[in-house]
Amino acid sequence: MVLLDLWKTVGLFSGLSEEQLQRLIAISQEEIFNEGDIICEQGAEGDKLYFISEGQVEIRIRKTPQSPERSQVYLGRGQIFGEMALLDLGKRSATVRCSRGHTVLRSITGDAFTELCSTDTAIGYIIMRNMAIDMSFKLRHRNLDLGAGSQ
Amino acid sequence: MMTYKVSYVVIGGEHPGAIVNEFERPKVGGQVQIGKNTFEIVEIFEVMPPRDDFAFLHATVKPVENVHEAEK
Repeated sequence: MVLLDLWKTVGLFSGLSEEQLQRLIAISQEEIFNEGDIICEQGAEGDKLYFISEGQVEIRIRKTPQSPERSQVYLGRGQIFGEMALLDLGKRSATVRCSRGHTVLRSITGDAFTELCSTDTAIGYIIMRNMAIDMSFKLRHRNLDLGAGSQ
Repeated sequence: MMTYKVSYVVIGGEHPGAIVNEFERPKVGGQVQIGKNTFEIVEIFEVMPPRDDFAFLHATVKPVENVHEAEK
């Protein structure tokens, strides 16, 4: 699948024109990870948004510095992570570990993302709306997962 | 082309499940690999209305027994 076609299947970019997608592709970087690699760590400074082109990652959280790290969810192709630190400028809320060999990510730095959204507010609006939909979907997954645990 | 954003939730709550984009609508009885484990889909429903070329689905899954382990 060519890059442009792949990006059309990512919910974050739903509603963007091909020209707008090309502008986003131009500011993104490819990053490849192997199983077990740590992509980002809870508590660290975060300045990148990632989406998964291929493969799978595991989101892990430690509730307190003393408590064991627990798996929260696996994310596969088409999913995004790292968006919280980009939006609120806080530290990484979770550790992200690569859980499948040859996982291909595309990353966009916070500065490049903010600049693009500021210069083209139509892109900014669509992406922020899609980001809100993605967060809502993740929250629904979490709620259903908590429900499954109580069955 | 329709993309199906699927929330896979594992019965029992021991496994955190997954969120994955699929290019074919998942079916009851189908299998999915999450981490190192394989799961069977037992239920599917729409969790949010479709938007543009995206459908938002929830799938409940159960672990598939390891045949080789069961044979031991």
